[in-house]
Amino acid sequence: MKQVLIFAEQTAGELRPVALELLGAGRQLADKLGASLSCVVMGHTITHLPSLLIAGGADLVYIADNPALETYRTLPYRRVFIDLIASMEEPPHIILLGSTTTGRDLAPRIAAYLETGLTADCTELDIGPYEHTSALDPTKVGLYENCLYAIRPSFGESLKARILGPWKNPQMATVRPSVMIALPVDTARQGAVQEIPVVLQAEDLGLVVLETLRAVSESVELAKADVIVSGGYGLGSTEGFGLIHELASCFENSAVGSSRKAVDSGWIAHAHQVGQTGKTVRPKLYIACGISGAIQHRVGMDKSATIIAINRDANAPIFKFAHYGIVGDLYQIIPEMIQQLKQGTPSNISKAGEANVLTYTL
Amino acid sequence: MNSFVLIKQVPDQSAKAGVNADGTIDRAKAKRMLNPFDCFALEAALQTKRLYGATVTAITMGPPPAIEILYEAIAHGVDRAVHLCDRRLAASDTLATAYALYNTVRYAGAFDLVFCGLQTTDGDTAQVGPQLAERLQVPQVTYCESFEVQRDKLIARRVTESGTQVVECPLPSVVTVANSAHRLAYKTLRGVQRVHQLQRDEVERNQVIRTVSLDDIQADPVRCGLKGSPTIVAATEKVGEIGGKCVLFQGKSIDTMVSGLLTDISLAELVQR
Repeated sequence: MKQVLIFAEQTAGELRPVALELLGAGRQLADKLGASLSCVVMGHTITHLPSLLIAGGADLVYIADNPALETYRTLPYRRVFIDLIASMEEPPHIILLGSTTTGRDLAPRIAAYLETGLTADCTELDIGPYEHTSALDPTKVGLYENCLYAIRPSFGESLKARILGPWKNPQMATVRPSVMIALPVDTARQGAVQEIPVVLQAEDLGLVVLETLRAVSESVELAKADVIVSGGYGLGSTEGFGLIHELASCFENSAVGSSRKAVDSGWIAHAHQVGQTGKTVRPKLYIACGISGAIQHRVGMDKSATIIAINRDANAPIFKFAHYGIVGDLYQIIPEMIQQLKQGTPSNISKAGEANVLTYTL
Repeated sequence: MNSFVLIKQVPDQSAKAGVNADGTIDRAKAKRMLNPFDCFALEAALQTKRLYGATVTAITMGPPPAIEILYEAIAHGVDRAVHLCDRRLAASDTLATAYALYNTVRYAGAFDLVFCGLQTTDGDTAQVGPQLAERLQVPQVTYCESFEVQRDKLIARRVTESGTQVVECPLPSVVTVANSAHRLAYKTLRGVQRVHQLQRDEVERNQVIRTVSLDDIQADPVRCGLKGSPTIVAATEKVGEIGGKCVLFQGKSIDTMVSGLLTDISLAELVQR
């Protein structure tokens, strides 16, 4: 039977959200293919995880529980992974990993070992046919069924690219965290659990983790914030972020984000960056200030429930996907917003309720 | 000690030149630049020269103009360079690129550390470094922020989502450098003078910058370029609009537009009490 295999990442015995997101995405692909959905989880004292993974959509959980796997290290995890694939009668049709620092560290090693294709940082996945007609490489010409469509933004271009590699299985991809949707937890789901052997070689154990310093960084707040106020190149200076912070502080559970250009200009730390090379966020409200809305930024935030854009250029791409926009000078608009928000005391900012409309009296 | 640094020339996306009406990039017309992520890798490699007396070799794969970034690297203090330049490399994906670079590294000789940028701004995959490490069968440290070398070991700090990790890694190894690492220092006067000398003196240039083909590095052409790439870009599509029409406020007074916006939208649950 065809198999879709996902890598279920965990740290300290806790599944990363991307593991369940991958199961959600993998379930759809497996159902389209008539395939089974399996996942591999590695770590130490993680016997509580398989039931969570089955409830999240897995038909089969491969588990490798070993002290040497407690903290992620490239080569031990690589070894267990490639040994697992070698033990299968046929390789999985598809393998998915999250585009986390771990997934981006591990996936290319496995793909290179297997000499197969790998598409980075996908934002959409699908299954479909593909006919290769280009005579430049005659060995590839033909009609292929059940191809993985790995879809990702084409960098620096306002395009999405559909990338395929149907010539060899597994067809591999890494998937951006916070993009795919996890399935509702179903504890009644049935699935199998299979322990897999951990046979490490001496050369797998050369690298030693000396220390892990847990950082409570801004990035954590960014992922969990209900409201994100982001500043871009249009701010013109690092001082502009003072205003962004002030606007953010008008909201409960808020955080400050930024575009890549503002980070590259040295106005704010990389931890605040939203987009292709930064964080993916989906807050209830995203306010983009002086951000043009290039695809690199967009892929990190366009799943936000409500997007407000403030930009002086009415033709800026951000207005093509924002829900609300104000055209004008952010240095005039933001102070006015702060003032109006602060004047709106709890009594006259009433709960919106079903109508979803706020009556705002000054 | 031998340090290699892998660098790439990419289109300058902030420049308007070379951007077609449909949003694609015309690489022939676009302004070219050193991949910004590689600046951090270059600085890390030069650090091994300053601190440990390493010989630093810059390696690039690309069409003839890519020699510009090798000059740039030499101006910063790199000792020698290898330029893999071959038409048969066109349309390489990451697997084929890693294979070609693997053979180039082998050609360039023994190494202790290979530094790569985290990713490139044109491909943005972050895959080539680890794929190269796999081919070389050495360990890797990705997302490296800072490091020191102690005898035959690398002590490195790497950044992950859950915090900073300190690892000890045997040499030789591949290191991909995070963009939170040290910024590239200025070009050195000696380096700049050396570049001027190389641009004038062809014999010396050919000694310092080796331009090689697939045959020179003994790479199998079938595993390179289009033929050696298991993935292809099958289709591209314009990114559509989402969320329907944007409710746009413009051309009115600031307070009218802001109150219009705040009236239209439900913020009650989100505002700080």
